[in-house]
Amino acid sequence: MIQVFTFYLFAVLLIASGAFTIFSRNPVHSVLWLILAFFNAAGLMVLVGAEFIAMLLVIVYVGAVAVLFLFVVMMLDIDFAELRAGFMKNVPLGILLAIVFVMELIFGIGAYQAGKIELADTPVNPAREGATNIEAVGELLYTKYIFLFETAGIILLVAMVGAIVLTNRKRAGVRPQNVSEQVARRPEDATRNMQPEVGKGVEL
Amino acid sequence: MIGIEHYIVVSSILFVMGVLGIFLNRKNVIIILMAIELILLAVNINLVAFSAFLGDMVGQVFAMFVLTVAAGEAAIGLAILVIYFRGRGTIAVDDINRMKG
Amino acid sequence: MSVGNSLYLVAPEIILSASGLLLLLIGAWGGFKSARLVSILAVTALFASSAVALEFLLNPAFAEGGDAFFGQYRLDKFGSLTKLLIYISAIVSIIIAPRFFDNVAGGRSAVMRPEYPVLIVFAAIGMGMMVSAVDLMTLYIGLELNSLAAYVLASFLRNDERSAEAGLKYFVLGGLASGILLFGMSLLYGFTGTTNFNAINQAFESGLSTGALFGLIFVLAGMAFKISAVPFHMWTPDVYEGAPTPVTTFFATAPKVAALALTMRLAIEAFGSQIAAWQQIIIFIALASIVVGAAGAIGQTNIKRLLAYSSINNVGFILIGLAAANQAGASAMLVYLMIYVAMTLGSFVAVLDLRDADGNQVEEISSLAGLSKSRPGLAAAIAIFMFSLAGIPPLFGFWGKFLVFEAAVQADLILLAALGIAASVIGAFYYLKVIKVMYFDESADVVVKSDSKSHAVIIALCALFVSPLGYLLIPVLGNIADQAAAALFWAL
Repeated sequence: MIQVFTFYLFAVLLIASGAFTIFSRNPVHSVLWLILAFFNAAGLMVLVGAEFIAMLLVIVYVGAVAVLFLFVVMMLDIDFAELRAGFMKNVPLGILLAIVFVMELIFGIGAYQAGKIELADTPVNPAREGATNIEAVGELLYTKYIFLFETAGIILLVAMVGAIVLTNRKRAGVRPQNVSEQVARRPEDATRNMQPEVGKGVEL
Repeated sequence: MIGIEHYIVVSSILFVMGVLGIFLNRKNVIIILMAIELILLAVNINLVAFSAFLGDMVGQVFAMFVLTVAAGEAAIGLAILVIYFRGRGTIAVDDINRMKG
Repeated sequence: MSVGNSLYLVAPEIILSASGLLLLLIGAWGGFKSARLVSILAVTALFASSAVALEFLLNPAFAEGGDAFFGQYRLDKFGSLTKLLIYISAIVSIIIAPRFFDNVAGGRSAVMRPEYPVLIVFAAIGMGMMVSAVDLMTLYIGLELNSLAAYVLASFLRNDERSAEAGLKYFVLGGLASGILLFGMSLLYGFTGTTNFNAINQAFESGLSTGALFGLIFVLAGMAFKISAVPFHMWTPDVYEGAPTPVTTFFATAPKVAALALTMRLAIEAFGSQIAAWQQIIIFIALASIVVGAAGAIGQTNIKRLLAYSSINNVGFILIGLAAANQAGASAMLVYLMIYVAMTLGSFVAVLDLRDADGNQVEEISSLAGLSKSRPGLAAAIAIFMFSLAGIPPLFGFWGKFLVFEAAVQADLILLAALGIAASVIGAFYYLKVIKVMYFDESADVVVKSDSKSHAVIIALCALFVSPLGYLLIPVLGNIADQAAAALFWAL
């Protein structure tokens, strides 16, 4: 029973936060709603026993992609005064969200402890008996799907190269630190000994 | 009891919302990129749910690949957005009209 | 089947991956100065892969082909032939690039960068996987590898607003298309329980559930976007106009061949037992593409936009072969694709050769006025390509159209063939307009002489191929295309 309730909790929140992502006027809020959507989707995945993908979704999306989005949003033109002004006003909403979040965690763990949702009677291509979810995924990924796995690596490489090619630029007027040059500098190059006569001073 | 239909309904709603987000949004390109992420999320929910209900691990492997590609796609999309913003100073959807026809 | 055997079958991809990684290192160490070396090495690697693909295509020892990596990848003549076309397009796109990038006026990044050939090589790996994919996952990974590289290439001239805008448009609409395609694939997977093309085909034999039907339609819609067929063509003119011309050359050829080949394989190997479910869709897409491609081109003043509409138009004709859903249709599509690649490469390289006295690219059609006097050779070449794109009989472009119409008539799609022929007559109008401007208008004296030998050689080769001399190749090309098409239909 707890699974049914948890499913509806996650599903409703997922759809609501998806809608807010799209209709929110402020892009920063959109990113935050997107993060919430990913959390809830991860919850839905835990309910069917796919813990690994669920955790990966949280790590990759909330940890990397959403933060990347936030970075870019911040780089673009946002009225930050307006953002700060809304802070105190939004505190009750924030507390409400925090409570919902804790509830979700409790129910999610509860539902997970109570066992997965009932699944197929006749699995098509079942995982090895006794393997955990992460082992089952790994055993497929590194054997049967090794070719695609390697190509996925190339995709990430292309994404990296592409992002750098497009955005990296040499800025004029910047004086970056050159560590090797600094280390290679010897005292003889930088200092000189002089014995100036009294009252003559030193020419620099 | 929760069945596969429930999951399909949720993912379909999310998918439709993502597509709508792309077409309805007239204000900000970055929200369009988020709508694309929502679409991919809907696909992932579908794949994982099918994988679990069919008892077939392949769906979860597929979901992992989708996740990988989505991360790369987000990086490239944001990079293109940044250079576009540098050139034009705006990311409003209505301003993307240098070429018409 | 051992892993060693699998590795052997994916040799073209392995050669390209290894050289792509190596070239990236050279580019990273050498900076902009290494661009020339990286380009030469990239072309060499693509030639090596082409040689391997040619060996797979012609050597009778590989006539059977084979499945690699547990049925995710298939080596067959169909894949090898389309790969050859893709690699040739990639080679041309790299060869013509340095002159373009070195001459872009203004902007600090206006030099040839070593990342350009590297990205093309990586895109070629993705496209090779697309045409050999017999599994939804391979399809997706290959498609995305190609797409991600293409998004970057479209916005490669990052200081140029039009290029950045082209990249942004391409990315947003491409991302949407990938999402639709992927949602369709997830439905197909869910309702058939497999991602393998043959297994999907077997599951379809016992009937098509509603969910699977939705999956099929979504997948076809996503593919229609990738081949820029109507109603998913909106991005094409803008992206073709905004992207740097060598990149446009690439977009108009290699990814289009790959996506069309992939559509063929999907439709026939995966959905072959439910032809009725997709035949109507393909007929509609084909007709709509022909009409919109012809009608949209009429008001255009930019030659790159004109060629974009022409490619939409030609994709429509190629899809007529798929609508026929028989072996003759597939063979006709392959012959058409070969001719299309030659015509498109030739016309875009010719456009690239149009420069004014300051070295800027000339893209306005009105600036071509009197080209027949200032550059008679180039004008003649453009005229040949335009006539051939229009399918006017003495030229080779006619042969491709003839073959697809013949296949359509064989499949009892006489109405489709008739409408197609009528539309191609209307479509000829806008090609003729360009020729009229070049030959009969008052000279505008904008375009100056070009000293590029490589351009001249490529244009001459393409013009020779699409000239009536091309008909001498029909026995060879027809034979290869028949064998490749037969490889597609082995399961039916």
